[in-house]
Amino acid sequence: MNSKILIITTTALLMSFAATGQGLVGKLKQKAEKAAEKALEKKAEEKTGIKTDDGSESSGTSNSGNSSGRPTNKGGGGLVSTPPDVKQNLSDAESAFKSANYGEARYAVQQAMLGVELEIGNKVLASLPESVSGLPKLPEEDQVTSTGWGWAGLTIQRVYRKDDKELSATIANNSAWMSAVNMYLANTGYAQQTGGQQNWKQIKIKGHRAVIEYDESSGYKISVPLGQSSLIVFQGTNYASEQEITSAANSFDIDGIKNMLGEK
Amino acid sequence: MKQIIFSLLLFSSLIAAGQDFNKSLADARGAYSGGNLEDARFAMQQMLNEIDVLVGKELLKSLPAKFDARAANTGSDNVTANTGLAGVVVHRDYGTGEKTATLDIMTNSPLLASINAILSLPFVGNAGDGSQKVVKIQGYKSILQRTIDSETNKTSYSLQIPLNSTLITINGEDCSEAEITRWANLLPMSEIAKLVQ
Repeated sequence: MNSKILIITTTALLMSFAATGQGLVGKLKQKAEKAAEKALEKKAEEKTGIKTDDGSESSGTSNSGNSSGRPTNKGGGGLVSTPPDVKQNLSDAESAFKSANYGEARYAVQQAMLGVELEIGNKVLASLPESVSGLPKLPEEDQVTSTGWGWAGLTIQRVYRKDDKELSATIANNSAWMSAVNMYLANTGYAQQTGGQQNWKQIKIKGHRAVIEYDESSGYKISVPLGQSSLIVFQGTNYASEQEITSAANSFDIDGIKNMLGEK
Repeated sequence: MKQIIFSLLLFSSLIAAGQDFNKSLADARGAYSGGNLEDARFAMQQMLNEIDVLVGKELLKSLPAKFDARAANTGSDNVTANTGLAGVVVHRDYGTGEKTATLDIMTNSPLLASINAILSLPFVGNAGDGSQKVVKIQGYKSILQRTIDSETNKTSYSLQIPLNSTLITINGEDCSEAEITRWANLLPMSEIAKLVQ
């Protein structure tokens, strides 16, 4: 009985050694293959001068997040902002019109208009105050948006911010919002709310009729229509009172902006 | 005779529109050079309007003079230019009495998004009762809608053909599907596409 147990144990031990040995041999074989590959690649690099990636060691790390093997963009110069050349586009429009190519003429006029609108926007931005109620301007957030289409018009935005207090001034020209604001101003029935909380009312900013609104989540908003088709909206976040936001709005040269937008 | 008078009127109005364009162009150039940006912009808006009116008139010239027996009522031809908002709207109607048809071409149409959405979803475009279906007119997928007057029992059709950013709509009173499709096939699509691009 004892001899049987001994034979079985010895056989099991021998088999496990053999398996381990096979594993060791396999690993040694793999290492040798890798070394040979590396040596070959090195030789090829020396001969061709072209460096090859060592994918065998970094395959798990360098391609992380790119399982399909397609390269991911790691950066680029972006797009250069080039406003359309107004004079060139006007000349293009003229020649296209003469040859009855109306589609091209229309496109060129739209481009010229876009160029002019961007120039108007930059001129208005340059005229805005450097700081308002102690908040400095954020030049990187200055924005002039134009579609060159007329109906969506021109939008100019400037942001002033310090800590959690912010004032944004948005100037819209040829704006579709105009009708809504003018409706408030033209109908005295809308002018005041009776009962409940007063969330909006009419005020005057530098002699211009305006609407001031208050919302618990977004703060104060003053909308000042200018002439026939322009509007300035001041949005104040974390302003303490109606007086504070009103005096901030009063520090803007409303008449100057109105003139620049060609409003009467 | 009527046709000659109409052609003469159209020709003279085209010359007038051309003169207006050149005047606005000179205004735009002068205002821009003088740094008066707002006036330059206004003059350019005028130029756009004038181009739109001209495009509309050219479109009218290209439209068929009749839809079968329904002759065009050129006296009620209309071109409306709305700078930017909806581009140019061209209207022509055909026929008299109960047998009429209208043709409208609207560039930069705000309706196009919803029509293209219907056309891109094959299971939405076709109504189970046959009142709406998607058809092809000269290669352009279009929506054909049928309405039946409950009193007179007469059938009317409306055909909407999107052409890039332009929408062509034909409404036919008291007509058949074959008729409205035939009328749509009379339209010079490539010429229209070139004009409204």
